[in-house]
Amino acid sequence: MKIGIYPGCCFQGADIHNYDITVNFLENMGVEWVLLDKAACCGGGVIDETNKKIVYGLNARNIALAEEKGVDLYTPCNTCYMVIARTKLALDSDPKLKDKINELLAEEGLEYKGEAKIYHTLNLIRDFIGLENYKSKIKRKLSAKVAPYYGCHVLAPNETAIDDPENPTLLREILEPLGVEIIEGYKNEMTCCGYHARFTDPEQKERLAVKPLEGAKEAGADLVATPCPLCHKAMDGYEEPILQVTQLINLACGNSEKEAHLDFNKTKVNLKLS
Amino acid sequence: MKKIKYTARIKRYDPDTNKSYFQDFEVEVEDSLTVLELLMYIKDKIDSTLTFRAFCRSAICGSCAMIINGRAGLACKIQAKDKIKNGVITIEPLNHLPVVRDLVVDQEPAFNKLKKVKPYLVPDPKVVPDNTKVESLVLPEEFKRYDKQTDCILCMACYGQCNALEGDEKYLGPFQLVKAFRFIMDTRDGVDVEERIKLVEDHGIWDCVQCQMCLAACPKGIAPCDDILELRRIAKDTGEENIATRRAKFWFATVYETGQIDKFHLPEVAFGDERGKEITKKLEEEFKSRGMSEDEFAPKPFEGIEKFRNFIKKLEKEL
Ligand code: SF4
Ligand code: SF4
Ligand code: FES
Repeated sequence: MKIGIYPGCCFQGADIHNYDITVNFLENMGVEWVLLDKAACCGGGVIDETNKKIVYGLNARNIALAEEKGVDLYTPCNTCYMVIARTKLALDSDPKLKDKINELLAEEGLEYKGEAKIYHTLNLIRDFIGLENYKSKIKRKLSAKVAPYYGCHVLAPNETAIDDPENPTLLREILEPLGVEIIEGYKNEMTCCGYHARFTDPEQKERLAVKPLEGAKEAGADLVATPCPLCHKAMDGYEEPILQVTQLINLACGNSEKEAHLDFNKTKVNLKLS
Repeated sequence: MKKIKYTARIKRYDPDTNKSYFQDFEVEVEDSLTVLELLMYIKDKIDSTLTFRAFCRSAICGSCAMIINGRAGLACKIQAKDKIKNGVITIEPLNHLPVVRDLVVDQEPAFNKLKKVKPYLVPDPKVVPDNTKVESLVLPEEFKRYDKQTDCILCMACYGQCNALEGDEKYLGPFQLVKAFRFIMDTRDGVDVEERIKLVEDHGIWDCVQCQMCLAACPKGIAPCDDILELRRIAKDTGEENIATRRAKFWFATVYETGQIDKFHLPEVAFGDERGKEITKKLEEEFKSRGMSEDEFAPKPFEGIEKFRNFIKKLEKEL
């Protein structure tokens, strides 16, 4: 069981600790990994504003790098997941596009075959690690009221959605074994965090980020848990705390708060561990 | 045909009392019903006051968009039995529009926004003949650029699901921007691209959060989110200078240089003012306090970057 870690922008600069969180998570789960060290930015929905074709090429290459190593591709980021998975759909349904890109990839000795699967933390746990196996790795319980927050790009578009977009349950299934109490059905639980407006309309981002947090607080949650490092970044720093699901999993698998990088949160979190 | 039993949980609104509430209808009906047929059954057999809008029953008139289990779609296109979750199907009016009664919303505010983008062809005299004897030709490859977009039936499902409207009720809206894109791409249109872009900037293309919900909602397979990125590209390429276009240019340039976006310098470049410098400076302090060395602040090119750059150049030229 080996997986290829795709390094997106959530692993660099002020977010460099996300790499540690990801590696610790995989090690806690007993998953072997290899870093796709020559992978490039997925485009983040921004390179489309230069040229959409480049986005196809970039991600065909990213997937080809995983295939070269004989592994599937794993990214913890909702947006990277969605952009790469959408590219895969486009390539697999358009042989001409695929052939043309493969011609260009050949110069780097790469080929997009379409064999590698695209994983995000949520489907990695369900389909690659397996929920039962996942539960068996948990060593201690966390006590807190937690509001699951999926973020948009694991539930839309429908073709790449990881769970039933209308009635997702996977995040609850992943959080429950950690011992936490789940708060669902809170106000604005499906409202976007606004991350992608940070550098197009910063006020828009501010108005949106706080909405799900306020809803969760109103419903009595101690914290919000999201799988997505970008949602985390967008929503950290307000009154209600937010953490990444993998941070909580790492804690439950025995990592210390420091190892789980809780100290980098702007809004501090109080968790009881048993 | 099999009969099935389930609960239709419908959001009601009575304008006379100004009360809004959910009402449960227990039904036992054939399993082949569309959501629209389910509503018609309830109106016919249980409660004749239930109000909704529909006409064609075949996903073409665009009247029957509503929120089904939290997701916008056409009631006449969706099979009710696919939507039963734990014995319940939940039906609500579209979001972001005033409710008239029950599932009927007032579409006027969204149409008024549509009018702002000049949603019509202004014939270009250089292309469109001034008499009816000669045809105005559009080549198949020209039409391909906006073929899909002409399928829009103005159902407003995308509008009812849009996250940008959650943050800004003045946001123009997804289908309105699709329309703007469609006329920019039309070879017969005589309005300057710059002018058409001006029409979509205020509470428009820069407000979108790229959540992809409009794509998920559209019954015609249109992707407003993608067209919005195209509109931003066109705005940038026609010389628009703002935080977003600076970010887009910098993003591509640094990915070309190193394979990754340089998030450290991004705020400084994108904001292009003191505010951006401040953010980048704060980042620098944070990095130092974490004990990071200066060459860790921004991404470095990976081994074999020359070949990668070549690849990008060829993608731009040859694809
Ligand atoms: S991608 Fe943009 S236009 Fe589409 S629903 Fe989201 S915010 Fe609205
Ligand atoms: S773009 Fe699609 S969802 Fe939006 S109004 Fe047109 S047909 Fe309806
Ligand atoms: S009734 Fe015409 S689109 Fe549904």
